[in-house]
Amino acid sequence: MIEAAAWDRAIALLPDRTAAHLGVSAAAVGLALLIAVPTVLAMVGRPRLRSAVLTAAAVVQTVPALALLALFYPLLLALSALTERLAGFGVPALGFLPSLLALTLYALLPLLRGGADGLASVPPATLDAADGIGMTRGQRLLHVELPMAAPVIMGGLRTAAVWTIGAATLATTVGQKSLGDLIFAGLQLEDWALVVTGCLAAAALAIVTDMALWRVETGIAARRWRKAGLGAALLAAMVAVVLALWWNARPPDSAERPVVVGAKSFGEQYILAELIAARLREQGLAVTVRSGLGSAVAFRALTAGDIDLYVDYSGTLWANALERTDVAPRATMIATLRAELPERHRVQVAAVLGFENAYALAMQRADAERLGITSLADLARKSGRLRLATDTEFQQREEWAALQRAYGLRFARLTAYTPTLMVRALTGGEADVMTAFSSDGRIAADDLVLLTDPAGALPSYDAMLLIGPTRPELARMLQGLERSVPVEAMREANWQVDRATDKRTPEQAARWLAARIRDR
Amino acid sequence: MAVTLEYQRINVSRGGRPVLVDIDLQIAAGGLVALTGASGAGKSTLLRVTNRLIAPASGRLLIDGADAAAEPGPVLRRRIGYAAQGVGLFPHWTVADNIAAVPWLNGESRRMRTQLVAEMLDLVELPQSFASRMPAELSGGQASRVGLARALAARPGLLLLDEPFAALDPETRTELADRIEALHKAQGLTTLLVTHDLADALTRASRILVLEAGRLIADATPAALVADPRPAVQALIASPLDQARRLVRLTG
Repeated sequence: MIEAAAWDRAIALLPDRTAAHLGVSAAAVGLALLIAVPTVLAMVGRPRLRSAVLTAAAVVQTVPALALLALFYPLLLALSALTERLAGFGVPALGFLPSLLALTLYALLPLLRGGADGLASVPPATLDAADGIGMTRGQRLLHVELPMAAPVIMGGLRTAAVWTIGAATLATTVGQKSLGDLIFAGLQLEDWALVVTGCLAAAALAIVTDMALWRVETGIAARRWRKAGLGAALLAAMVAVVLALWWNARPPDSAERPVVVGAKSFGEQYILAELIAARLREQGLAVTVRSGLGSAVAFRALTAGDIDLYVDYSGTLWANALERTDVAPRATMIATLRAELPERHRVQVAAVLGFENAYALAMQRADAERLGITSLADLARKSGRLRLATDTEFQQREEWAALQRAYGLRFARLTAYTPTLMVRALTGGEADVMTAFSSDGRIAADDLVLLTDPAGALPSYDAMLLIGPTRPELARMLQGLERSVPVEAMREANWQVDRATDKRTPEQAARWLAARIRDR
Repeated sequence: MAVTLEYQRINVSRGGRPVLVDIDLQIAAGGLVALTGASGAGKSTLLRVTNRLIAPASGRLLIDGADAAAEPGPVLRRRIGYAAQGVGLFPHWTVADNIAAVPWLNGESRRMRTQLVAEMLDLVELPQSFASRMPAELSGGQASRVGLARALAARPGLLLLDEPFAALDPETRTELADRIEALHKAQGLTTLLVTHDLADALTRASRILVLEAGRLIADATPAALVADPRPAVQALIASPLDQARRLVRLTG
């Protein structure tokens, strides 16, 4: 069962996230309308343009919303660099703007289709009569075509509104506050109160909006102005609530922008972000946490100044920020990153936290001891009779190729699982070895051993606190975190938020971790 | 006031294919002229050239001696009564609003329009209570009458009817045809009636124009047309004539 406190926490997030969600959705549908109306009018009597536009909109629709959102981020970064050079100011690439643009594109198809289909649904005899009695093109459009097409157009608008409200949950991944914050965090932390609350709120929002638009639509069609007015009033009230909440949530005029701590979308990142935020608050700074960032987005967001600091991992930075394809020893990677990140990206490494979140192979302790396996080299001698359980991406990753090259690993069977099932496969005896992350809380909890890598085939993934170019002074304030988080402590904190019973929030786990660090 | 029409070497083509070829024609004021021919012969096109819904590729149309192309199409069309094929009432407007459409476009006052609607409902023999109905509540015959009222509301001198009887049952059809004939006379109209049914043309019109592949192949009174020995004309009137003979035989 979910505890009452979990529901309270989830519900406390609702007003702010609902307002942001509705705000970005309404803005996107509004902008889409501004684009769709002239486009639809331009398509009247131009079948070629019509089919070209509708095809283009349909192609956009086939791009998953998540990918569309992610695509807009680099696009806006490039645009920002351009405006910076030309006009001396950059456009924000994270948060509201990419969400607005991606959701607008998404809302276009139903609007365009509704408009085009609506206008095409007017019978030729009616158009002929309108022309024949002496209406001008404009009069025909305004008094005959648009009113007759209104039901289909409004149907398109309703579809657009419902889709947009649904897709806006994904805006979390590009740093826009939305109900997706609850859903993404909840899924990562297996905090079902968050997931359920987020989903229900998004669904309720969609249903209420749809109902209000339906009232407007049928009210207009039946010329029942009170009914249409009620629907319009409901929509207006929703917008008013959003504006009121935004007004309340606006930062005080004089205060400078709060420090923004970023976090990717998994438990460890949430905990570390809260840990860092608490440290900065103790030193008197205003801090907000932007969590749930896509992995590809986070580093770019830092260099662009959309977030001020976050934790990333040496192996990831090595490949993505330094574009290296080789594998170097752990200490070399850290030293190289410390030296090259400031030069190449104006990013400082404020602290190496002291633990790794690296790929490793794990076995149950009893099995490892019985077979006398402590390292990957030991494993290679016995692997022909053993079964390996991997996560869904491991077999496509460079790490797996590197392991096979270095140790000649060859297993009796390879099976890919989702993370939870992978652990069950190991503990249930369906597999003998599994892929793991070295800071995973389940290692201690399930009494697993990680096999050592004497050949150094696997890249290291040291957690590193990165400070962006916007707030360089933060580095000094957080130096104390250098080598302060032992892997056992991180595992325990991760376990506190990952486990199914007696679950803690990332804030609680961060407080526990902070106390543990201070004790040292 | 009834108008005269003069078509001078009118040519219309669509997609490179000729639809009307060298139409030279004069129609006197007060005529009830039927345009007939097989489908695709160009009869609707000729009707639509008359109110410039279609602009001819070459040639001129004079209405009461003035070039029809001299003024904007919509302005011209508001002076010409037009009953579209399939009626085409505006489904989101009441019967009254439909009837008063042209006066409304012309900026007539609401009071004037209400008065006109009452008059027009009388003319087409519909009860006054119909004014507030929606088109969806009308039968086919009633809708046709409203269409006719809409065409006549601005008191035109020229009335264009495109297949007005197409979707009506025989009884309704006869009633409507009677009404049109009566209104044509009473209102002092020049009327052009497109019909693919030669029986309508033969029994109602004072003059029949037969089109074939865009050319005018016959221009005659009904009596003269029946006597026309040319195979093309005979083929066209064979069926209604045969039907009429059988009916006469039946009734003795």
